[in-house]
Amino acid sequence: MTVKDAAPSAHALDKSALLRMYEQMKTIRVFEDRAGKEFASGKVPGFVHLYAGEEAVAVGVCSHLTDDDFITSHHRGHGHCIAKGVSVREMVAELLGREAGACSGKGGSMHIADVNKGMLGANGIVGGGFPLASGAGLTAKYNGKGQVVVCFFGDGAANQGTFHEGLNLAGIWKLPVIFVAENNGYAESTPVTYHMSCRDIADRAAGYNMPGVTVDGLDVFAVYEAAGEAVARARRGEGPSLIECKTYRYYGHFEGDAITYRTKEEEESYRARDAITSLRNSIIKRQVATDAELDAIDAQVQNSIDLAWQYAEAAPYPAPEEALTDVYVKYP
Amino acid sequence: MASPLVGIVANPASGRDIRRLVAHGTVFDNNEKTAIVRRILIGLAAVGITRVAYMPENDFGIVPRALDGLRNPGATSPLRLTAEPLAMPVLGTGTDSTRAARLLVEMGAGCILTLGGDGTNRAVARGCANVPLVPISTGTNNVFPLFIEGTLAGMAAGLVALKRTATRAIYRAPRLEVSLNDTPTESALIDVVVSSLPFIGSRALWDFSTVREVILSRAAPATIGLSALGGALLDSQPDAHGISGMHIVPGNEGPEIQVALAPGLVTWVGIREHRRLAADDSVRCQPGIGTVALDGEREIELAPTTRVEVRLCADGPFVVDVAAALETAARAGYMQR
Repeated sequence: MTVKDAAPSAHALDKSALLRMYEQMKTIRVFEDRAGKEFASGKVPGFVHLYAGEEAVAVGVCSHLTDDDFITSHHRGHGHCIAKGVSVREMVAELLGREAGACSGKGGSMHIADVNKGMLGANGIVGGGFPLASGAGLTAKYNGKGQVVVCFFGDGAANQGTFHEGLNLAGIWKLPVIFVAENNGYAESTPVTYHMSCRDIADRAAGYNMPGVTVDGLDVFAVYEAAGEAVARARRGEGPSLIECKTYRYYGHFEGDAITYRTKEEEESYRARDAITSLRNSIIKRQVATDAELDAIDAQVQNSIDLAWQYAEAAPYPAPEEALTDVYVKYP
Repeated sequence: MASPLVGIVANPASGRDIRRLVAHGTVFDNNEKTAIVRRILIGLAAVGITRVAYMPENDFGIVPRALDGLRNPGATSPLRLTAEPLAMPVLGTGTDSTRAARLLVEMGAGCILTLGGDGTNRAVARGCANVPLVPISTGTNNVFPLFIEGTLAGMAAGLVALKRTATRAIYRAPRLEVSLNDTPTESALIDVVVSSLPFIGSRALWDFSTVREVILSRAAPATIGLSALGGALLDSQPDAHGISGMHIVPGNEGPEIQVALAPGLVTWVGIREHRRLAADDSVRCQPGIGTVALDGEREIELAPTTRVEVRLCADGPFVVDVAAALETAARAGYMQR
């Protein structure tokens, strides 16, 4: 293995890389907190599923990707979009159904996509990302440029038939796909202890001839290390991997969920290990940056989200005659 | 006389770390751990143990699943064995294993079976006092626990609890006491490694270029992980003491040795210096930002000024030699009727 082929060392996380991670995680958190409030006030049509609490997964993984790499997402996709570089103001505009949205206001929260950023789409179908990811993986392999695909999915999706079909295809064709399980403990309201025969999604990797690992999804460094190795492996042409990140969502399955299926104590135990606070503490403890520098990032993130909402709320809705534009492919 | 109590601490989290990506580690799934526990329970019952207590966990429920539908196809009567969860809160961390071991000591357990890796056993060793362990490997780089058939492990543990084995079936393992800023803080069973990696992250260590110092509780051949350095550095000198650890500093100035750093990961590494350690010898590690790994897992993040001292201690956990336990019980006639 040459150095070029190896995963980046943890020492690659210099000050600028660490502050970028912090900024992205903070952006996701502030974006989601704001989206939750605005949904409650009735401004946001449709459903929203918030990613707050799981930021370390999207950011730890996407830190290894470029715009040439692809990701597929799911119904809780805002964090993936932000970590992959989708414009925050286009995301807010999409949530509000405005013409300036990432999908011209026709997709809403569950269908944000930006192919220029390699973001192949959030997805309203649980388990809908696996076939797309394997298809994109086949494209990447065919292109031969070292592109990789990351398929984010939840513990509920791991019980869908598409999981097995997608992983099997990636396994037999040695596709450069990294399957990232965001195991937040609940498929909607059903605990993973009830719904999954093996409990640890990583155990299923063995059935598809790929390595499976479990990491602490609340620790961005743990996710970063595992994802770095899996991405490097995929770029070297050694095939797919499965990374299970044990994580937790702070909000309900969807906004409006009464969350009767878990306890406040459980939520507090996870909030006590909050990924963003942990990263901040680590940065301070190692004297990489000061509190003042991180406070400045917090303020800048808050400002960018505020501006995105101002921009989106002022943006027009699509004209009625645009209803079918971009919906069907036109063949010559 | 009532049956002695036997404890089981089965870690549902072992066997899935990053070494499946960076090396060729195998996923050790929980259904397999369940099957091992099932065989353990049958082994225990076969030698006459009827009382088992186990560490509860909210993760998978290894022991309850093992009990579900349990029967010994070789026996004519149903298993007369009760297995109860220990009354303790479940935090889902290594402290559960330590707490379970302490409770088992308080309840007078005669033996504790563990399923996990070196890390699991390190946690159990913190609480098990003088109760002997039968450690079964379900982790990755394991030196302390052994790959051993669950049925035999269960039988041996039962025979030890029933005091049907000779004293040579149990030995005392050494341990490494880790002091931070002159305060004993942690303990390891096999190795303490100071790494330049600045954070705990995915815990495992596999990149030798990040290793600053290695302290081993034993220099033994046929081990894997950074403890393999000790085996590769063995020379013609016989061990001076029963306990013989090693302090190793990597570097390009000395000879290179070939070691298996992880399953399927064998490499040549340079060693600047190494020296043997006897019981009570201490090593004061070089300061600097980094992490301390205990038994293969990064556990402690170091500030620039943190002082780390490691002492080799003779008072580690008592461990059952399964082969010797079965042999001495057989020689004493306990396997006949």
